Amino acid sequence: MLLQTILIALLYLLTSMEPFFGTSLISRAIICGPLTGLIMGDLQAGLIMGGTLELAFIGAVSIGAYDPPDVASGTILGTAFAIQAGAGPEVALALGLPISTIMQAVIAIVWGIIPTIWMHKADKKAAAGDAKGLEWQMWWAGILPVLATFWIVPSAFYFGNDTIVSLLGIIPDFIVTGMNIAAGVIPAIGFAMLAQMIMNRKVAPYFFVGFFLVQYFGVPTTGVAIFAILLAFIIVSTQRQQMQEVESDDF
Amino acid sequence: MISNKDRKEFQGKIGKQILRKVYLRSIPMEHSWNYERMMNLGYCYAMLPALKALYGDDKEKLTEAMLRHMEFYNTTPYVITLPLGISVAMEEKMAENPENFDKTSITSVKAALMGPLAGIGDSIYWGTLRIIATGVGATLAVQGNVLGPVLFFLIFNVPNFGLRYWLTFFGYNFGTNVLGKLEQSGIMEKLTYGASIVGLLVTGAMTAENVYLAVAGKIGVGDDATTIQSILDGIIPGLLSLGVMGIVYYFLHKKVKPLTLMFIMMVLCIISAYFGIFVPGED
Repeated sequence: MLLQTILIALLYLLTSMEPFFGTSLISRAIICGPLTGLIMGDLQAGLIMGGTLELAFIGAVSIGAYDPPDVASGTILGTAFAIQAGAGPEVALALGLPISTIMQAVIAIVWGIIPTIWMHKADKKAAAGDAKGLEWQMWWAGILPVLATFWIVPSAFYFGNDTIVSLLGIIPDFIVTGMNIAAGVIPAIGFAMLAQMIMNRKVAPYFFVGFFLVQYFGVPTTGVAIFAILLAFIIVSTQRQQMQEVESDDF
Repeated sequence: MISNKDRKEFQGKIGKQILRKVYLRSIPMEHSWNYERMMNLGYCYAMLPALKALYGDDKEKLTEAMLRHMEFYNTTPYVITLPLGISVAMEEKMAENPENFDKTSITSVKAALMGPLAGIGDSIYWGTLRIIATGVGATLAVQGNVLGPVLFFLIFNVPNFGLRYWLTFFGYNFGTNVLGKLEQSGIMEKLTYGASIVGLLVTGAMTAENVYLAVAGKIGVGDDATTIQSILDGIIPGLLSLGVMGIVYYFLHKKVKPLTLMFIMMVLCIISAYFGIFVPGED
């Protein structure tokens, strides 16, 4: 049991570091499931449960600002408990889904705060021209949130499912809801900073054109970009024409 | 104008070795991903070998370059080496000829690439390649075949790491040759203007897509009830997110620190959730 807990801790630590390994999808159910099976001594069951959970979680990817459920924790615990109980993949799925959702709430809070703080430390290092210092902050920005959360999964395995679910249930609903709302508005800071860099009176309206193209017509970003490139081309080339006309007027 | 001799000398500063380092450092791009400026720290980290080679002995310029690449960035991580390669080429030009180079063009070109790249990258990697890998892998896995996870991993990651490598060099060559010719013919200024148009349009679009706020509450009873949010959407869709954007822009302009803003926003959101003023996004 202790050896299995340690191995599960290592497995979840590894999958939590997925962004470090080139966002290589090692946290997906189809990878975690079989590895958990191996730890629990039943690779076959792990493969079947991993495959089943992978199909269930197929929509759970982070595109844009959407925070998907934490597939790895749900798969590892769901598979481990199901194998332990001698149950089938449907039990792994029933256990895995709520665990992934609850774990995501915890992760969203930790990842929402820690990397930003260390990114600001890196900002200071950059302003001081300290390249080495910036590099260290980059490492900490990703390692600290992993260290802050990874122990939950092996602990849950060790102390049992019920204990951890009720423990996480102590977090009041409105805080989780509030963090969900915050996740929707916080990206505004980044976009405002970006706009601030490019913005001047001459080009300011284009921001609103882009905004309302999406709001009113639901044009995807790629579509907006295509129109933007064409529009920029037209504007720049007509401008050149006008300049040439002005020049020829001078003569 | 710079003589060809100078040009050659500076071309030596960015070699294959440095581009390879940039590639290796692009792998943990999302390791330091944060809600505020997303990939910025990863981007700056990946740029460092090139920045050190170009400005290593000039601390002021190195500082300026580091801050330049600490600005907001976000795209599909698997294609990040394309803008990285272009940025390296542009930084090299900038180091070569600082007087005639518009610094903002580096940021503008980056920003202009961000949206389209995310669109293309997301649909190729998340939408297509991952679905193929899952289709092949999960079918084998549910039959208890070990090849399932192995094939899943390979189908996705051979292009992930392979294309990522190729894009580093492609981006650099594109930045050196194509952008270089534009600069010589004097179009660079216009390109920068054009890029700032594209950048702002895409920033506007991404704000509309990623910033979300909805007010709670309903008017009317039963089936006739309409949410207050749908009434607001009927007047001007995205009015609230535009308002949030405006307020944030204003406070940033007033030199309020982004982190302070973020904490205030979190607290306000939790308070508003307690009183049920706003509701989270539907997706």
